[in-house]
Amino acid sequence: MFGPRLDGRNGVALVASTLEHFKLHPVWETQPEVGRFWGPRFGELTQEHQEEHFKKVGADQTQIQWTITYRDEPVGFTGIFDIDWVRRDGESGIFIGRHDLFGRGIASEAIRLRTDFAWRELRLHRVHNWIAHANRGSRRANEKAGYTQMGLFRRSFFRSGEWYDEWLGEAYPHTFPDQR
Amino acid sequence: MALGGTIRGKKTTLRLPVEADLETYNRWMADIRVRRAHRVWHEPAMPATWKERFKEIAKDKQHVLWSIDAGGSLVGFALGHLWTMGNGFDVNQLVIDPDEWRKGYGFDAALALHRYVFDYLDLRLATFELRADNLAALKIVTKLGHIEFAHGHEVDYRDGAYVDEIKLRMDKETWQERWSAEREYPPLAADATR
Repeated sequence: MFGPRLDGRNGVALVASTLEHFKLHPVWETQPEVGRFWGPRFGELTQEHQEEHFKKVGADQTQIQWTITYRDEPVGFTGIFDIDWVRRDGESGIFIGRHDLFGRGIASEAIRLRTDFAWRELRLHRVHNWIAHANRGSRRANEKAGYTQMGLFRRSFFRSGEWYDEWLGEAYPHTFPDQR
Repeated sequence: MALGGTIRGKKTTLRLPVEADLETYNRWMADIRVRRAHRVWHEPAMPATWKERFKEIAKDKQHVLWSIDAGGSLVGFALGHLWTMGNGFDVNQLVIDPDEWRKGYGFDAALALHRYVFDYLDLRLATFELRADNLAALKIVTKLGHIEFAHGHEVDYRDGAYVDEIKLRMDKETWQERWSAEREYPPLAADATR
């Protein structure tokens, strides 16, 4: 499924993804700056695959995905995946594809909007995620929306000659800043 | 592609699953004792649905399914996920027939599966996710050498309440320290490659 439009602060919004947005995935995902903390930078990155993927995501009842826009330009993606509607739990994810816009608080605002939607509209009980421990910006953005550490997975993946640990986080309605 | 072959333990054998096993899988998935202990692989369903699921898992490139036999009878199944980059293995399901609990089948099958993961596939690590109150399963994986790396709060829901989830991992170094005598095959003879 694709999520509804959620307008945030400082020009950031989450909007329902379109096929044109999905076609930006391969371009963004293969950039070294964007894949610094995830992704092998190879895959089935054809336009045909993106069309299929777009249809699958749209039909999938266990995930909600948005395109992140900044000043009305698509700049990344976020969503809640593998939602279990009995446990009311899902895994969240985000990436900013426009690395020239890193450091402007776009991810923080997108995560705040997404997390607020999880509690207020989806009535989820919990959202969890995995983040590269060295990706301090992403960790901080998630912590601001109420995520707390539940674990640490040592030597999770290998990049540029060294092992990277992953930080495991979880959030609940009562940990969201606006509801504390 | 992803139906597992024979892995022999001392009491159990993990073997190629067949369609005839599916009716028993269905019964286990409907058993409240199994459902209380851990997540189900699939919800109970019609035989035709199970056949579809069987076809899907057989084609799945990253999941591997085994049936588990003991004494010539089907007593469980195991399902694992091979990481995309191929250096880790998540044990998603290790189900033993509740009528066969407390006979050591769970540990024996888990040990055989880990031997396959480390001694045969040469993977770097294996993981488990278990409900915090599933003490029998926690005892098995701890005895193997798994250590906790995360504790999720109120993750699973059953019996009208949430229960925590423990994530555990075991690295190849631990396998070698604890279980180096466990080998799929004996070491090659000195003249084996002459």
